[in-house]
Amino acid sequence: MKNTIRQIFHSSKFVAGFVIFVAILLFILLYPLFQPGNPLEMIGVGTFAEPGTYVSLYDSVTAPSETLNLPDAASNRLASVLKEEDRAKMAEYLVAVGVPSEEIDVADTEALLALWEKHYDETARPAGMTKATRNYYKRLNQSLNSMGSGSELSVVEQGEGGEASTIATIGSSDYVNVRKVPNRKTLLLGTDNFGRDVLKELASAAGTSVVIGLIAGTVATLIGLLLGLLSGYLGGFVDDIIMFFTNIFTVIPSFVLLILISYSIGQDQRGAGVVALVIGLTSWTWTTRSVRSQVISLRNRDHVNLSRLSGHGLFRILMTDILPYIASYVVMAFILQVSSGILAEAQLSLLGLGPKTTEVPTLGLMMNWAMLYSAHLNGSWWAYFPVILMITLISFSLNLMNTGLDQVFNPTLRD
Amino acid sequence: MAKTILEVRELTTKYVTRFREDVYAVDHVSLSIEEGKSLGIAGESGCGKSTLALSLMGYYFPPLHYMSGDSIVDGKNLSGMSPDDVRKNVLGSDVAYIPQAAMNALNPIRKIGAFIEDVIRAHDPARSRQDIRDMARKRFEELHLPQEALDKHAVELSGGMKQRVVIAVSTILSPKVLIADEPSSALDVTSQKVVIRMLKEMMEKGFIKSMIFITHELPLLYNVTDDIMVMYAGQIVERGSAKEMVFDPVHPYSRGLMRSILVPEDGTRANKLIAIPGTPPNLKKPPAGCRFAPRCRYAMPECQFNAYPIRDFAPGRSWRCARTPEHLKEVYAREDG
Amino acid sequence: MKGYWKYFRKKIIWFLITFVAAVLLNFVLPRLMPNDPVAAITGKMAQGMTDATASQRIYEQYAEEFGTNKPMIEQFFIFVKNLFRGDLGTSFSQYPRKVSDIIASSIWWTIALQLPAIIVGWLIGNVLGALAAYVRKGFDKVLLPLSIFISNIPAFGMAVIMLVLFAVRLKVAPTSGGYNYDMIPNFSWKFVQSVIAHYQLPFWSIVLVSIGGQAIGMRSMSIYELNADYVKYARFLGIRDSKIVGYVFRNAMLPQITGLAMSIGTMVGGALVAEIIFSYPGLGSTMLSAISGGDYPLISATTLIITLMVLVISFLLDIIYGFIDPRVKAAQFD
Repeated sequence: MKNTIRQIFHSSKFVAGFVIFVAILLFILLYPLFQPGNPLEMIGVGTFAEPGTYVSLYDSVTAPSETLNLPDAASNRLASVLKEEDRAKMAEYLVAVGVPSEEIDVADTEALLALWEKHYDETARPAGMTKATRNYYKRLNQSLNSMGSGSELSVVEQGEGGEASTIATIGSSDYVNVRKVPNRKTLLLGTDNFGRDVLKELASAAGTSVVIGLIAGTVATLIGLLLGLLSGYLGGFVDDIIMFFTNIFTVIPSFVLLILISYSIGQDQRGAGVVALVIGLTSWTWTTRSVRSQVISLRNRDHVNLSRLSGHGLFRILMTDILPYIASYVVMAFILQVSSGILAEAQLSLLGLGPKTTEVPTLGLMMNWAMLYSAHLNGSWWAYFPVILMITLISFSLNLMNTGLDQVFNPTLRD
Repeated sequence: MAKTILEVRELTTKYVTRFREDVYAVDHVSLSIEEGKSLGIAGESGCGKSTLALSLMGYYFPPLHYMSGDSIVDGKNLSGMSPDDVRKNVLGSDVAYIPQAAMNALNPIRKIGAFIEDVIRAHDPARSRQDIRDMARKRFEELHLPQEALDKHAVELSGGMKQRVVIAVSTILSPKVLIADEPSSALDVTSQKVVIRMLKEMMEKGFIKSMIFITHELPLLYNVTDDIMVMYAGQIVERGSAKEMVFDPVHPYSRGLMRSILVPEDGTRANKLIAIPGTPPNLKKPPAGCRFAPRCRYAMPECQFNAYPIRDFAPGRSWRCARTPEHLKEVYAREDG
Repeated sequence: MKGYWKYFRKKIIWFLITFVAAVLLNFVLPRLMPNDPVAAITGKMAQGMTDATASQRIYEQYAEEFGTNKPMIEQFFIFVKNLFRGDLGTSFSQYPRKVSDIIASSIWWTIALQLPAIIVGWLIGNVLGALAAYVRKGFDKVLLPLSIFISNIPAFGMAVIMLVLFAVRLKVAPTSGGYNYDMIPNFSWKFVQSVIAHYQLPFWSIVLVSIGGQAIGMRSMSIYELNADYVKYARFLGIRDSKIVGYVFRNAMLPQITGLAMSIGTMVGGALVAEIIFSYPGLGSTMLSAISGGDYPLISATTLIITLMVLVISFLLDIIYGFIDPRVKAAQFD
């Protein structure tokens, strides 16, 4: 036993998978300790806030400010405000007035503005340009000029009587030390469509999904193990019956049964546990098959015959003479079941048949909501990509462990 | 004087393990076979019999590596040849091999006839299909094998038939040397006899010019081969004619090998079944002296340190031992008496 | 040939049994559940709680078509009888369209997308796996973990990644649908072009997902076969490596065919969800809209059709397998 474990930990694939899986578990367990609170709490009012650090605008107005004269502040400001379509339009204009297109780089704000200043003429009428377009350029030029001018902003407080009083004026070179702003929030992965903190939700969802996988895997493995042991060891009629049903459920796709059952259970009854149970109940056939074939190869070994001749009961033979020899296969089957259980939950959720949304987040539900709110089309990668990566990493780590175990127990596959 | 078909001189080869350790499985082995003659090689599992077979064919596939010596088949020295050259010009055409696991030797999804075609085309790409067909049919007929077998897959043949088909396929190009590696060990006694009769017949009809028959059952070689060679730990320990070796083995190991197996053949003496104590040495670290000394009942103290060369002690007989044959024969007579 | 017919007969009988079982499950499973959707429908009707007369009419029609107020056994026979007439009921969410119409308009999209994609993925995967087994060294260290990684990207994840990369960022393919939304299906060249353009992303994302798993399976099978006795024997007879690789490839392919037959259900499931990501007008999207619209007859019909498709494919694979593996024929005489 000890030797086997040492051998397993010599397999680089197993170790790599194990390390990734443990890292994910640590993230699931430790992250909520640093960031306590309900992962389903909607902290944002809008949808899909970008990842980053948010500083309270309200607080920064009254926070003590310093004046810093930074040379490229103005152009930075322009660069961040100048939209991509405006840049493209500017390039178009420049080309129209005869600037060679290879001289124009829309990504380089300073160079673009310099070109613009040099070539833009309000009174010019480049050939083929309509009045509407000319007006657009006029407006664009005005706003460019005003942005660069560095005019001051006034912050006005609405008093109780309705009278307004100016409480601060902000110049273009006023800066606030971030540490002096009392309210700030770092959202490493932004918020989702409900305004929830994606990272916090991800930790919680990954946890739920792993638990779903474990429940589903355990249920499927127990059923598969029991049926496989009985079918393989007893043979004959029992074997025929069990294999008949196993074969039927192998060809009838389990996700179809999953859909039918999940739909019939109804949204209200579908907690994460129920979903996990249903997944487990529909995916035991693989385990049954592999356990059965292993048991058949063991059935007539000497030690089993000896045990049978000594009058040991069925249960005892299965537990002491057969189970220990197939334990490695059972563990491997269990690992695969866990990973396919997690995937099954995600797919069900994408069909709208996942667990109830109000209770716990799961990876599938996060994915489903991100898709429903078109996160993938509007560029909110933080809402779906970490979820895909998390599912892939969990599944990858489990499969890597499985491959490692396979190479330890089937030496021909070794490198 | 008959022509020498196979001559092996001081051949030494080694295995390199996963941990880069050298295992000398064939250690300075010399032998020769004349046209029309057969040689039996006997020894326990792991004594280097099969490795010797691979080595003398020039079949060096990792982890097996060539070290030194020569293996000359009909004037062609295989030891200097590249593996590709050996594959193309020697294997199958000059030297054929019948592997231990002949039961699984045939590709399960290729018809026997098609496989024969592959074998012949590998050496003679220009041969026409019809030509090959005719040749295979003729050969099967001469060997009393059903021609329908050519259109069958291996699974459709019985165990004994599969074995005979493998022999026929291996010798389809009439090789100069046939190496049969335990071709009969997985068969029942009747099928064994059929196989042995078939091998002998092929010698008589000239389909093969010489044969090496490898087995761990020394007595089986009687009536099969002309000469017998006993190997232990990668070295030859005794060699002589089949009759002498079966009825009058002199080396303690040959004698032990002879007595450890019970074969209901006529003429073998009904001896007590005696197993040789101990196990063959680990060839990663062979014993410094005589390799059999640790298991030898008649070993002297110096046997543990002195390695003895192989030497002749009678016409056609040689051995590797510190004692004299006369002395040992006397001891044996006393013990049996 | 006699052995083959025996095998063929066995497979047909087995196909019929699984088909009956699938129909039975499709009928029974929803009715066994505590929140039985069928009962819910009839219950609603009985209480007269539906406000709109239109939905009242649907429920009545449903009750009549499927006899939901009759005993279970009788319901089953009505269900089977309707099934054989090709009548799968009337859709709730797209009333008054027949369910069979809706299925008929989406099933070909799914078949045309998934069948070629799975076959191509399977072929590429097998070739790569065999190569990997033959080359071994570098592959095991780098490419094997990499392909395990890729094969563990869920089908929908791959679909989203492909969509964002090629449709949203690079804009080389359309983001959704089976053809341009402003077109009406016809056989003009323009329409076909649009269909082909919309086909690319769903197709390649299904292909990519299936390659990894197949390659890994083929690699293990080929390594196993490379150590087989017949390989050594062929070498002993001087047969060239290129020929031997062919032997190994074909022998290792065989279990891969059975493997495909057994995993086709899982693959189709993943691919259906990928369809949803691309809003491809196939069964996946039909199922999604049926589920979100609470359209029970449509859900039931879609699941049944998908099951039937999977059963037919595994049956065909079994038949093909019987043709290429001589052992099948021989086994029938044992």
